[in-house]
Amino acid sequence: MSDLELSVGAKDPDRPRLTLSRRLWSAVLPVALAVLLLGFATFDHGVLSSANLLNIAQQTSYLALFAMAQTVVILTRGFDLALGPTVSMVSVGTALAMAGATASGHGTAAVLLAGLAAGFALGIACGLFNGVVIALLGVNPFVATLGSYNIAIGIATTLSSGRPVQGVPPLFSQIFYGGSLFGVPAAIAITVAVGVLLHLLLARTVFGRSLYLIGTNPRAAAVAGLPVKRILVATYVLCSGLAALGAIMMTARTGSGEPNLGGALSLQAIAGAVVGGTSLAGGRGGVGTAVLGALFITILSNGMNLTRIDGYVQMVVLGAIVIIGVLLDRLRQERRQ
Amino acid sequence: MTTALVTANPHGTISLRSIAGRIGFLPALLVMLVAGMSAVDPQFYGIINVLNILRNASLLAIVACGQALVIIAGGFDLSVGAVVALASVVTAKAMAATAAAFPGNNALIIASGVAAGLGSGAVVGLVNGFCVAKLKVSGFVVTLGTMSATAGVGLMITNGIPVYGMPEIFVKGFGRAQALGLPTAVHIAVIVILVMVFAQRRTLFGRYVYAIGGNVDAAVVSGVTIQRHIVGTYVVSSVLAALTGILLTAQVGSGQASFGGDRMMLQSIAAAVIGGVSLRGGVGRVEIVAVSALFLTILGNALNLLHVDSRLQPVFLGVIMVAAVALDELSRRSKPRV
Repeated sequence: MSDLELSVGAKDPDRPRLTLSRRLWSAVLPVALAVLLLGFATFDHGVLSSANLLNIAQQTSYLALFAMAQTVVILTRGFDLALGPTVSMVSVGTALAMAGATASGHGTAAVLLAGLAAGFALGIACGLFNGVVIALLGVNPFVATLGSYNIAIGIATTLSSGRPVQGVPPLFSQIFYGGSLFGVPAAIAITVAVGVLLHLLLARTVFGRSLYLIGTNPRAAAVAGLPVKRILVATYVLCSGLAALGAIMMTARTGSGEPNLGGALSLQAIAGAVVGGTSLAGGRGGVGTAVLGALFITILSNGMNLTRIDGYVQMVVLGAIVIIGVLLDRLRQERRQ
Repeated sequence: MTTALVTANPHGTISLRSIAGRIGFLPALLVMLVAGMSAVDPQFYGIINVLNILRNASLLAIVACGQALVIIAGGFDLSVGAVVALASVVTAKAMAATAAAFPGNNALIIASGVAAGLGSGAVVGLVNGFCVAKLKVSGFVVTLGTMSATAGVGLMITNGIPVYGMPEIFVKGFGRAQALGLPTAVHIAVIVILVMVFAQRRTLFGRYVYAIGGNVDAAVVSGVTIQRHIVGTYVVSSVLAALTGILLTAQVGSGQASFGGDRMMLQSIAAAVIGGVSLRGGVGRVEIVAVSALFLTILGNALNLLHVDSRLQPVFLGVIMVAAVALDELSRRSKPRV
C-alpha cells in the first residue's frame, strides 16, 4: 500500500510548492458552475427555483453515476464505448425478467428480485466480456468495447423486438424512482451512496490505488507484482455493474424496458468524466471529477433548455465545451510540470 | 511472389503461416463468404445485388480510407459520420442557392455545390487538426466534440428537413449514372484508393504519416514537421467523408442531415481495424482497408439475404470485429519479437 503511494506520488516530488496553483485550478470548474447558474438565472428566474435545483440534482445523479463508471475504466487508460448499449440491454432484461416473473405468478418481492438479478447479471456479463477481451486477449479497449457496443445493441433490440417492454411492476418505480430516503429522492440517494463507496474504494483500498498505478505506468504496475490482468477484468466488471445500476434506476423512471435507453450515453459519460478533469491518458481523476463534469453538463443543458436555446445549437455548444474542458485540463497539467 | 517469399524466409520453408501473414486472412474470409453465399442464394450474384454491394462498399471504403490515414498517424476521427451529413446538407443548400441566383447554369450550380460540400469538410478537418496538433488535445476528445458540433450545425441548417432543389443532371447524370456498367461511386472510390495507395507509398506525406504514427519522438528527431502532417491527415479524412456525403446526396437526390451518423463512423473504424490498421499507429494499408469495407458490406448484405433479423445483425458485426482484432493480436504475440 505505502509502496504504491510512493510510486504514484513520486511523479511530483516537490508537492508543497504546487498545491496553491493546483488548488486554484481545481476551483475553476466549481466557479464556472456557479457563474453558469447565475448567468442563466438572470435570463430566467426559474433556474434558481428549488424545484428546478432539485430537478437538476436528480438529472445529474444519473449522468454522474455513468460518468463514475466511465471514470473507473478511464483511470486504467481504457474506456467503455459499450456503456450506453449496456444500459439499454440491462433495461430490457430487467423489464423482461420482471414481466416474466409476474406472469408466472410470483410474489412482488420475488418479481423485484428477479428483475434486479437479471439486470446485474447482464451488466456483469457485459463487463466480463469487455474485461476478458481487453485484458486477456490484449485487444485495444476501443475495438473491444465497440464490438460489445454492437453486440449489446443487437441483444437489446432482439430481446425487446425493438419496442418498449411493458410489465414493470409499479412498486419497482415507486422504490427506485418515486422513493426517498430522509426526504432525498431515490436517484440522488443511491448516487450519493455509490459515490461515497466508490471514493473509498478508489482512495483507500489496494485495488483502487492499483487502478491509478496501472493508468500512470502499466509496466511499473506489472513489475510491482500487481495482477494487472485480473484487476483490469474487475475494473470493467465494476464499470458495467455501475452502468447496470444506472440502467435499473432509469428503467424505474420510465416505467418500462427501453431498447434505446442508452442512446448517446457512452459518449456523454466520457464527456462528463473528461470535462470534470479525468485524464484520458490514465491515472488521474476520481469520483469528484465525474460528479463535477456531470453537474456541469447537466446545468448547461438545463439552463439552455430553460432559456429556450435551440436543441441543435445546444449540440454545438456541448461539442465546444468538451474540447475546451480538455484543453483547460491540458494547460493545467502543463502548468504543474 | 514465391521467390520473394523464399528470400524473405531464411529457412527456405514456405509455411502456410507466412503466406497468411503476408496477405492476411481477410481476403480468404471474403472469398469464403462470397463462395458460400453464391452457393446458398443465386440472388446474391444477381447483377442488381452486386451493383448494390459495390455502391455501398465504395461509399464506406472512401470514408474508411481517410479514417485509416488518421489512425495510422496515431489519431482517431469520430467526426466522419457527422461530416457526411454536413457535406450533404451544405452541398444541397449551396446548389439550391446558386440555382436561385443563376437559374439554368448547371455547371456553375454543381461546381458551387461540390466546392461548398468539400469545403465544409475541409473546415471540420482543419478544426480537428488544429486542436489535435497545435492545442495538443487528444484526438478522441476533439473529434467527439466536433462530431456533436458538426451534427448540430447540419441539423441547424436544415431543421432536420431534407433539402431539395439540385439540378436534375447532378442526380440523373452523376449520382445514379453508370459508366462501364458500374455506378459512379465505384469509379470514384477506385480513384480515391489508387491515389491514397500512391500517397502512402510514394509521397513524403504518406511516409511521414507512418513515421509519426510509429514513433513520434523519432519522427521529430528526424526533422519531420509533425503538426502540419497531423493536420493533413484530419483534413484528408474529413474531405473524403465530405466526398461520400456528396455522392450520397447525388444518389438520393436530396441533402439530408440524417446521412452518415454514428453508424458510418463506427463502420469506418471497424473497416480500418479489421483491415489491419493498428490503433497504436504506424501500421496499415489503405487497399486492405478497402477490401475490409467490401467484406463488411457483403457481410451485411449476406445477413439480409439469409433473412437474419436486422436487429440481430449488429451482434455478428461486433463478434467478427473483436475476433478479427483478437486473432491479429494473438498472431503477433506468437511471432518472435525482433
